[in-house]
Amino acid sequence: MKKKMNILIKKSVLCFLMLFMLSGCLGGREINDLEIVIGMGVDKDENTENILVTAQIVKVGEIEKTSGSSGGGPENKAFWNVSHTGNSIFEAVRQITHKTGNRLFVSHNQAVIFGKDIALEDVQKYIDFFLRAHEMRPTALILIAENRASDVMDAKPETEILPAMNIAKLVKAYGFTSHFYKVNVKDFASCIMSATSAPIAPIVGISKDNGSKDIYVSGMAVFKNAKMVGELNQLETRGLLWVLGEVKSGVILVPSPNRQGNAVLEILKTRSKVTPEINNGKIVMNIKIKMESSLSEQTTTENLATIPAFEEIQKALEEIIRQEIMTAFDKSRELNADIFGFGEILHKKYNNVWKTIKDDWDEVYPTIKLNIEVEARIQKTDLLKKPATSNKKGK
Amino acid sequence: MFGYILKKIRYSALKRKNMSHDTATDKNYNEPLLPDLEKNLDVIKSILRDSSDVTVHEFNFGHDRRYKGALVFIDNMVDKEEIHKNILKPLMYDVLLLKKDVDMDFTKIDIIRKNLISVMDSQKVTLLADLLDSLLTGTTILLVDGSKEALAVNLRKWEARSIEEPGTEAVVRGPREGFNENANVSIALIRRKIKDPDLCIEKLKIGMRTKTDVYIVYLKSVANPKLIEEIRNRIGRIKIDAILESGYIEQFIEDAPYSIFPTVSNSEKPDKVVAKILEGRAAIVVDGTPFVLIVPMLFIESFQSGEDYYARPFLASIMRIIRFLSFIISTLGPAFYVALTVFHQELIPTQLLISIAAGRERVPFPAILEAGLMLFTFDVLREAGVRLPKPVGQTIGIVGALVLGQASVEAGLISPIMVIVVSSTAIASFAVPAQTDSGTILRYIYLGLAGIAGGFGVIMGLLATLLHLSSLRSFGVPYLWPVVPFNLSGIKDVFIRMPVWTMQKRPSVIIWDNIDSIRQSPGLMPSPYKEDKDDSK
Amino acid sequence: MNVEKGKICSSQLPFLIAGFVQGSALLIDFTVGITEHQTWMVILAGLIIATPVILSYVALIKRFPGMNVIQINNMVYGRFLGKAVSIYYIFFFLMTLSFNIRDVGELHVTFLMPDTPFIFFLAVFAATCAYAVTKGIEVLSRISYLFVLVGLVVPISTFILLIDQMDFSNFLPVFELPPVKLLQGVHIMLIIPFGETLVFLTIMGSLNKTGNAVKNTLVGLLIGTASLLVVAVRNTAVLGKTQSIWTATSFQSIRLIDIGTVLTRMDFLIGIAQMVLIFFKCCLFFYALTVALSQLLGLKSYLPLVLPLAGIEVIIAATVFQSPVDHAGITQNAGIIYSAPLIVIIPPLTLLVAKIRGLRKNEGGKGA
Repeated sequence: MKKKMNILIKKSVLCFLMLFMLSGCLGGREINDLEIVIGMGVDKDENTENILVTAQIVKVGEIEKTSGSSGGGPENKAFWNVSHTGNSIFEAVRQITHKTGNRLFVSHNQAVIFGKDIALEDVQKYIDFFLRAHEMRPTALILIAENRASDVMDAKPETEILPAMNIAKLVKAYGFTSHFYKVNVKDFASCIMSATSAPIAPIVGISKDNGSKDIYVSGMAVFKNAKMVGELNQLETRGLLWVLGEVKSGVILVPSPNRQGNAVLEILKTRSKVTPEINNGKIVMNIKIKMESSLSEQTTTENLATIPAFEEIQKALEEIIRQEIMTAFDKSRELNADIFGFGEILHKKYNNVWKTIKDDWDEVYPTIKLNIEVEARIQKTDLLKKPATSNKKGK
Repeated sequence: MFGYILKKIRYSALKRKNMSHDTATDKNYNEPLLPDLEKNLDVIKSILRDSSDVTVHEFNFGHDRRYKGALVFIDNMVDKEEIHKNILKPLMYDVLLLKKDVDMDFTKIDIIRKNLISVMDSQKVTLLADLLDSLLTGTTILLVDGSKEALAVNLRKWEARSIEEPGTEAVVRGPREGFNENANVSIALIRRKIKDPDLCIEKLKIGMRTKTDVYIVYLKSVANPKLIEEIRNRIGRIKIDAILESGYIEQFIEDAPYSIFPTVSNSEKPDKVVAKILEGRAAIVVDGTPFVLIVPMLFIESFQSGEDYYARPFLASIMRIIRFLSFIISTLGPAFYVALTVFHQELIPTQLLISIAAGRERVPFPAILEAGLMLFTFDVLREAGVRLPKPVGQTIGIVGALVLGQASVEAGLISPIMVIVVSSTAIASFAVPAQTDSGTILRYIYLGLAGIAGGFGVIMGLLATLLHLSSLRSFGVPYLWPVVPFNLSGIKDVFIRMPVWTMQKRPSVIIWDNIDSIRQSPGLMPSPYKEDKDDSK
Repeated sequence: MNVEKGKICSSQLPFLIAGFVQGSALLIDFTVGITEHQTWMVILAGLIIATPVILSYVALIKRFPGMNVIQINNMVYGRFLGKAVSIYYIFFFLMTLSFNIRDVGELHVTFLMPDTPFIFFLAVFAATCAYAVTKGIEVLSRISYLFVLVGLVVPISTFILLIDQMDFSNFLPVFELPPVKLLQGVHIMLIIPFGETLVFLTIMGSLNKTGNAVKNTLVGLLIGTASLLVVAVRNTAVLGKTQSIWTATSFQSIRLIDIGTVLTRMDFLIGIAQMVLIFFKCCLFFYALTVALSQLLGLKSYLPLVLPLAGIEVIIAATVFQSPVDHAGITQNAGIIYSAPLIVIIPPLTLLVAKIRGLRKNEGGKGA
């Protein structure tokens, strides 16, 4: 009986499979039918109120040529920026199929670039698609174009073949200077969902010096209620990152003790700790920052690798970091945008107090006091023990 | 469903009828021999229908040549010189050396055997059936007029292969001898390795026409008696006209005839067979083939090679893992590729996706068809290469690799990545020879599932395979042991091969509750000579 | 006479239970939408509340060793009332199984293959489950430990891969949600992963010995809960505030794995793990359903019922809800209310009645 059942079941499974075999491949798409999208831009259409979606599609055949026979020819672009207007992003994306013939395949989308006009209007309306669409991945980066997103996506980079890949690479390399920060869709959404936190996103622009068109990241856009309200410059961004504990590396110039030059320090390792405190109604944020650095360059003849010099430099360093944080905080107060996420920190520690103040956070935020403690240390001097100067001059 | 059952019933009824019919027509020749030589010879000749290779030599012997005798044998199966030296010469000439007055009645076979024939291996036969049996296996028959008995003298000789290294199981380290077609030689090879009175060799004759010798070889104190009984029963119920190879027996005794997985293993190497006998398994040696069957079989045995135990454990363990990986690659490789590129492109890293897409730019077929074609071509090449003589086989390989591979990629019919996938699959499939058949079938099944339903199909297929495997049994032993059901001491020899001195017990699942499960004394781990230890003694 | 002749080794019971509980890892998402970052404590609370209930199941089986729940019902409640209670059980098995099968379909249609007909997944999945059920509980319990291994290794390895993206302050403030939501969460937890162990009332009858069934059950529950906890903690720590908006939180957190740009796009890990685990759960449910129904109908073997029931399951699963929203809504609210009495009240009641009537296995041997 058991055996009979087995055979029966096998037969029925087989029948099922046959049935679906006949109906063709179920939703499978051959890889050469894919329009691989590596970047998407959203702009306001210049003439109408509609939005203009630009998708950067990889021209697979060209890739083969450019990588195969190293020549390639500069006029052959390996990507295709195809755009269409629509009332919503999804509508526009589907309209793009009029031009491509295939549905866009957005799983490999590296970056979502919003044009400045969109950012100034309301990002909230447009980010839903990038969270909801099943092919979208939460790791895609969010960027704001200095001007129009489609222009940024057009600039052909020199070493990389694909602009969107290049932009993603640039943003992910923020750690070298810590002058900006990478923000992915999930982090952005997380900030939008918070009652107080202000989302930030890097701004990409095209530098036009010397006639070349190079993509670079100029700073960070600050949002409030999903509308862009201002920008942070590079130093302000680093001030913010000190508090967030996201400074990976970077360069700090400290005047040397004899004021004849600078000690150039490379940031090696940082740690930050923010503890909120409420002192008779006043909110104080205790920020503790520890950093380690190395002496990477010096522009003075004086030997800086001495204990007194180190102490002096470290003190100056601490002051510089404190200043950076304060400028960032001043800027955020000016914009009244809680880019530091102080609201959430407060929420986590003082839930009861939080409930009473969260509705008028805009009034509370500028009154927050910062109590910054920095502990900076110089760890090493790299290859040199002292600078290469003649003995008689350096006493 | 009803019709299906009805069909089954009708078929089995038909089968039963056929069987009884068959046995009825089969003549038994269960008659005794007659005391008349002429008549006996006539009967034999008529039964054998005057075959040209049956030689009958009539002669007279005794002092005054008053006895009539005849030798019947099959040409080319006997050693004529020995017959002449040991039967004819004694009967016809050496008998003259006897004193004339010695009263010997040479119509009595016993007297001839004891006094004249100088061959050790001889037997009296009284029944015609026995006579024919012996004659057809190459024995020389001596008939004497006036006797109701005949003498079967074993003076067989025929051309046979010598002991050579088996082609299927080559080793780098380890004995190189292999079984050959002569079952006696094979059994001698086993006996030579196990010098133990417990080694039992049971002989059975299977095949109504071929009358093939089948031997069950096992260690009496180790093997489970129930297992041996089961083997005896299963072999005993085989009623077939011919056993030409051990594969015939395998198909009659296996547990799961509809499964694509073999539940009976085989080997050409005595060391391997002996190792398994020592673990409590039984070997089935079949005359006429070098392939010896071993039962019960575990799935894991397919991944173990004899060399694993001769080499030191470290490399052996790595090779074991490589074999597992190879099996996975060989069954799932193309399916994985198709599922990824057709259904789950989001899982491929971006750069890789772009290069795969670039490679497939001009390919006109869907990936599943592409993979299917390539696999089919590979299997054709393999089959062609195996069957053809060696020099031609090489040509096939070159043609296959160069012409088909290179040209089809250049023509844009096949993407280069697919060539890589299929060729690595092909290479991997040779790493686990014991599961080549099942691996090949699984590869196509998974490929089909991947083409229909992507990863979902493959996972469902894998789950069904796992369920099937874990429900399989080979002679009562769970096929996936020691993984399913889990067994700690068994797992020592699965994914890695622990040092030999840690494997103190025989696999518990094979010997069941037998007492003799310890195969080495504990604490045999080697250690350097310690002087102070000895001093303290 | 019990329709199942196979026997389960008592050492396999923890794995059966753990694998069954792990099978609900996908269904945590029902709770996450309600309880957000406090899901972990809801899981623990669910375990604590569920343990006595589950132990009452074990006590019932120990009182009537070798019998399944339908036989017990017949004995304890008499012929007619017993049948009525049994039908309630069977209805529960039927509906819960189809919900679970639907979950599989939804998972695939949402994440992996959106262009494929929904019914295809249901049919193939149900057919594979049917194949497993025909192999019997013996085979299922023998391979159960492999499923548990998958259910532990995948969450733990993904946890490790995501550790640098985790922010453990996401768990703060510890108590934030209104008690009503917590209660709702605990209720779902009590029913969905834990209460559904009700199916073991049809399975534990096949145990070869019931001696340490209590210990084995507890061990199984702990292992299962541990892997649920790892999943919940991972999702909360990684996704933070956004975890309540996704339809499948585990998938989203795995999509964030990005280590050296090599270890990325590991969705398949979670896809395989969830498929495999929910498959195991569905197999046990399916087995319980067929055994209970065939016992009720007085069949000699449950095998003839497997295929028809698979068909019925697919039809129910395909038609029962209109959309995932419908599905989640009903499961969160109505679904767990109709099953609550069965899970929380009836088995202890049965035990009580049996105690009062002084029934044991050897006294009344009338069977089904």
